[in-house]
Amino acid sequence: MGEKITVKKHSKKLSPVVIAVYVILVILAVIYIAPLLWMLSVSLKDNAELMAAPFAFPKAMQLANYAEAWTLGKLGKALLNSALVCGVTLFISMFFGAMAAFAIGRMRWKFAEGMHTFFLIGMMVPVHCILIPLFVRFAKLGMTNSRIGLMLPYITFSLPMTIFLLTGFFKSMPGELFEAAAIDGCGIYRCFFRIALPLCRTGFFVSGLMTFINNWNELLLAMVFISDSEKKTLPVTLTYFVGPYATNYVQMFAAIIIAIAPTVMVYCLFSNQIVEGLTTGAVKG
Amino acid sequence: MDKILRNKKAIFIFIAPAFLMFVVILVIPIFQMVYYSFCDYAALTPPKFTGLANYKKLLFKDATFRIALKNSIFFMIFSAISQQVVGLMLAVFLTNIPRGRNVFKNIYYLPCVLSSAALGLLWAFMFNPKIGLNQFLAKFGIKGPMWLMESKGFIVLPMWVIAFVALWQYVGQNMMLYMAQITGISRDVYEAAYIDGASKVKAFRYITMPLVKPMIVTSLSLNCIGSLKFFDLVYNMTQGGPNHRTEVLATQLYAEGFDYFKYGYASAISVILLILCLVVTLLVKKVIKVETYEA
Repeated sequence: MGEKITVKKHSKKLSPVVIAVYVILVILAVIYIAPLLWMLSVSLKDNAELMAAPFAFPKAMQLANYAEAWTLGKLGKALLNSALVCGVTLFISMFFGAMAAFAIGRMRWKFAEGMHTFFLIGMMVPVHCILIPLFVRFAKLGMTNSRIGLMLPYITFSLPMTIFLLTGFFKSMPGELFEAAAIDGCGIYRCFFRIALPLCRTGFFVSGLMTFINNWNELLLAMVFISDSEKKTLPVTLTYFVGPYATNYVQMFAAIIIAIAPTVMVYCLFSNQIVEGLTTGAVKG
Repeated sequence: MDKILRNKKAIFIFIAPAFLMFVVILVIPIFQMVYYSFCDYAALTPPKFTGLANYKKLLFKDATFRIALKNSIFFMIFSAISQQVVGLMLAVFLTNIPRGRNVFKNIYYLPCVLSSAALGLLWAFMFNPKIGLNQFLAKFGIKGPMWLMESKGFIVLPMWVIAFVALWQYVGQNMMLYMAQITGISRDVYEAAYIDGASKVKAFRYITMPLVKPMIVTSLSLNCIGSLKFFDLVYNMTQGGPNHRTEVLATQLYAEGFDYFKYGYASAISVILLILCLVVTLLVKKVIKVETYEA
């Protein structure tokens, strides 16, 4: 990511200002990490222990919390539902997004720019605005409480960012590639599938990660559209623990850990690509 | 070559799926929502046109809506300012320290990718009046306030708590955007300034600030829209309580629409939400004029 801006390269000793900055950064890092680690420690206690000494280390590992949270909150089912909904959404939105982005970024037609703007405006519309009309329509079609009914809005709301990122990627590809292919008798569809798509792997990876994380965490649509506990996604399942009467804290924390573990893992593996997705998306805008 | 890129049929095939989804799932529902907002529409009866009745009730008779609007706007202003300031500060710090940049960056950005539904539960527990933070404070003889239950004041304490949690969760995003912009500034510019005797503070004021200005527009509009839409944390931390004092537009919309099934009324709230989003985006673009520099 570009070059570092370090000014006082010649001096090996750290200036007091730099030390002060480090102190601030470390304190902030503790504020960021401590709650998460604390959550992990609580999830390994039992309820009595939590009330007596919430900040102490767990005496014995209560792994049973996880087992109970798993069955009580139907987390296994929820995990599967989340994976299914997010996976299908990811695949379709990438495919549709890539086609549209290719037409906008590479092909020559009058309304390419206008179409680009049209999709970009979609980024500004809050999902709340379509909640009621879409719910009413889906209810009439018998599509509430179905995972497909949830996927459709997810795909739609994932498209703007995908199209935006991929258009940039397609535009930056050298035109000679496509010219050479055309001379060799390649049609437009072959150009798309055999040249453009494989070359765009980074773009897919970056926008795919963003899409996946956004949908994985989405709560409002999932809450409205799915009421059948067999079809709930992870964030909705967690709301089972919301409210003043939910007192089974240790299991709640175990459930939260299970719910965020996949994203933490994805983040640890691909943090650089996620950052790239975020910044290229915004910088080009 | 040119011919195959102008292939009308191919363009149509490529653009059609995304375009259709957009029209069916996004554009048509928006028009429907606007229509519903002029109707008396409960779940079971068909919509009945009543003109501006919903808006009149919303703006002049509904105390909860006034609280929700106030909270949403407070939340937007607070996030807009705090996230820009803290985000820019972190970005400047991180781009100037000799080592450990990536470690800190990854730590600060981590909560952005986590589910705010999950984090909301964590913080709700943390600010529970008896357990969590207050128990910790009690060790030092401090009696902590009822973080999420207090209902006095113009902006109630729970709202501040939620706003700070949101700052904690999302500031990493602004930090990333600013870092990308700052690392894009050529080092030569800074070195030339230092040779001319500029101090670090001056370099920040006259080089960094003007060059990150385009990013301020992007991140400010992202912040404002994001905080107007805000739902997850509020729902999982307070559910709008105590006594609707922490209601925001999104939670009220959800309650009216899906707890009380007043579709028409909830649509009116979402029209106001949409208008707010558009107005704020335009305002940000108008107010912050961007000159482009060759960096």
